[in-house]
Amino acid sequence: MTALATVAFAIAAFAPAGLAADVTDIGYVDQAALSSIPSFLSANRQLAAYKAQLDRQFARQLRGVRDAGTQARIGQQYQNRLAQRQRDLFGPLFQRAQVAIASVASSKNLSVVVDKRIVVFGGQDVTGSVEQLLSGPGDPIPPVSSPPPSSVGYVDQAQIDTIPRLKAANDDFQKFQAAQQQQAQTKLRQAKNDAERQAVLKNYQATLADRQKQTIQPLVDQTRDAIADVAKKKGLLLVIDRSNLIYGGTDITSDVTTALK
Amino acid sequence: MTSPPRSNKGGAASLWVLAFGLAACSHGTTSSEVTATPGPDNGKVGYVNMDALVKVHPLYPQLAHLDDDVAALELRSVGPQIARSGADIARQEAQLQRELDEAADRTKRALGDKQQEYAKQEQAAIAAALGAAGSQNGSGSIAASVAAQARVQAQRVTAASQANVDTYRRQLVDQERTAAATLDRALGERAAREYRARADELARKESDYALSLASADAAERLSLRTKLSNLALDDATRAEVTKALAALDRKEADAVGAMRNRDQATLAAFQVTLHARVRRELAQQIGSLQKRTVAKINVRQQQAQSQIVGQVGLPPTGGVAVPPGVGPGMRQKLETLHARFQHDFDRDASQTVAQFQRTRAELTRRFHALAGADAADRSGAERQIDALQKQRGDLYGEMVAQINREVKVIAQKRGIGVVVSNVVAPAGGVDLTSEAQKDIESLHE
Repeated sequence: MTALATVAFAIAAFAPAGLAADVTDIGYVDQAALSSIPSFLSANRQLAAYKAQLDRQFARQLRGVRDAGTQARIGQQYQNRLAQRQRDLFGPLFQRAQVAIASVASSKNLSVVVDKRIVVFGGQDVTGSVEQLLSGPGDPIPPVSSPPPSSVGYVDQAQIDTIPRLKAANDDFQKFQAAQQQQAQTKLRQAKNDAERQAVLKNYQATLADRQKQTIQPLVDQTRDAIADVAKKKGLLLVIDRSNLIYGGTDITSDVTTALK
Repeated sequence: MTSPPRSNKGGAASLWVLAFGLAACSHGTTSSEVTATPGPDNGKVGYVNMDALVKVHPLYPQLAHLDDDVAALELRSVGPQIARSGADIARQEAQLQRELDEAADRTKRALGDKQQEYAKQEQAAIAAALGAAGSQNGSGSIAASVAAQARVQAQRVTAASQANVDTYRRQLVDQERTAAATLDRALGERAAREYRARADELARKESDYALSLASADAAERLSLRTKLSNLALDDATRAEVTKALAALDRKEADAVGAMRNRDQATLAAFQVTLHARVRRELAQQIGSLQKRTVAKINVRQQQAQSQIVGQVGLPPTGGVAVPPGVGPGMRQKLETLHARFQHDFDRDASQTVAQFQRTRAELTRRFHALAGADAADRSGAERQIDALQKQRGDLYGEMVAQINREVKVIAQKRGIGVVVSNVVAPAGGVDLTSEAQKDIESLHE
């Protein structure tokens, strides 16, 4: 996750009053529970076996390789092959799960389904119904209509981070972080005891925090304000990140992107 | 016509989490248990800033400490940022190899000089002996022939022996690295098994305890629920009974939470002990491996030394090429002379070779220390980070579960239907963060 996204989540936002609405149409799914469905377990086992095989190949390839560039190249090849296998194995399963979630949400008149991890209280748990549908024979049937308009909005933080000035700030911060990290590593190697090492670490963290406050925080504030403005105009109750959304919701990413440009 | 679900784009990224068990443990909210009482915010959606709440939780200092430990380890080692990186090791190994090559060159030069010196002395002695016997013919060529043969043989033997020892050393080092990696994996797996067993045992005890608490309060809970089911109950009594039921739930949750906190501390201490033990065992066993490897190399070097000393220098057998016409007495005298110079040279050369072997042994020891330190550092740090992150995840899960319980009580009190965390922007929702903060801070007391 980028620095902007990280900081955005960490902000305690102020809630404007007066936009209350009915929230009985919010559902959630426990994705961890879904992963224990036989088809997912089987795919996981296949992936684990493939990874074990790939690990052995990787270890053989790396044996005796001392050059950092070659190590990185081999490592990248390894990651690519593993990612491709993941896509092959899980892609069809995810599509099926998506249809099942949409079908259940539609039958329960839910306008939005989110990840259980962000639900602290309330909402409708549709995990059991989705599990049942996925474990049953045949493919789940897609709903005949789109989800109803939802008072829960979402943004694709990753897409917002590609706005040139935000991206430039992020890239700049990452370069700064890499340089600081290198310096800190050198100092850590020279440190004579734990106290010195602690001091190096604290200094490193403080330097990064300062820099983040100076260069990233103002952009985070602007982004949050822009999201809140768009949300108010559209009468939304709250806005979450796309990564926490599973079904439905109101996408305001493009409105926010336009506002920030 | 069937229109595709609008969710596909938004949900795909989230569902990818499924595959690899990254969808962390859920926070234990079950809507079916919730009975929202009428309140000023009835039907609204609430939200909390989970990061802010985690920061006021009594266990936050432990979490921050774990974060610091992970950050320190990540900064110090592992992966592409490893402090003693592959490139560092390669540089240090190259330096050791340079020192070894220089020592070998010095030894070769010293042996060559000594050889020439002894050949000259022997040549002079042979010439003197032949001169004294009145045979000037061929004395110079005999000595020169002896010296030339010795030089060629010495170079061949020294080069072959050194190549053999170097190959052998490389093979042993590779074997040692493989053995160290296997050992590291085995120790790590054993420690993980022990940790899991202890964690399972504690979790079982927690479940038993929770069950016993629930059983103890079963009668009271049933009585309260029976009262609530009485439709004729007035609002004040209903509120009072609901409050008593909530207090009962909270008492049990707090007792189990306290036990979990203690167990968490026990597990943390156990983790530290396991880490220390694995690192100690790894260091010991890698040390033993290195000693065995160095001993094997030393044996091979001794063999090479004997080979060099036995063959380098003047031809050890077959005597001197004595020209025709030399009598048996002179032949005997020349052979004695040769044997004496051979012996003197062997003794002198063996000292030089021994000195070289000592240098080589020291460089080999340093080389192995370097390889062993690398393996131990890298694997130890990676394992520590994994374990700390697991520990951190468990602790965070416990804290969030407790926070969720507090937020649930607040939401029920205010009649809020749904509460979520991690909102990007709140818009019209009700912020419960500061109220929850107060309740969580009271857990310190």
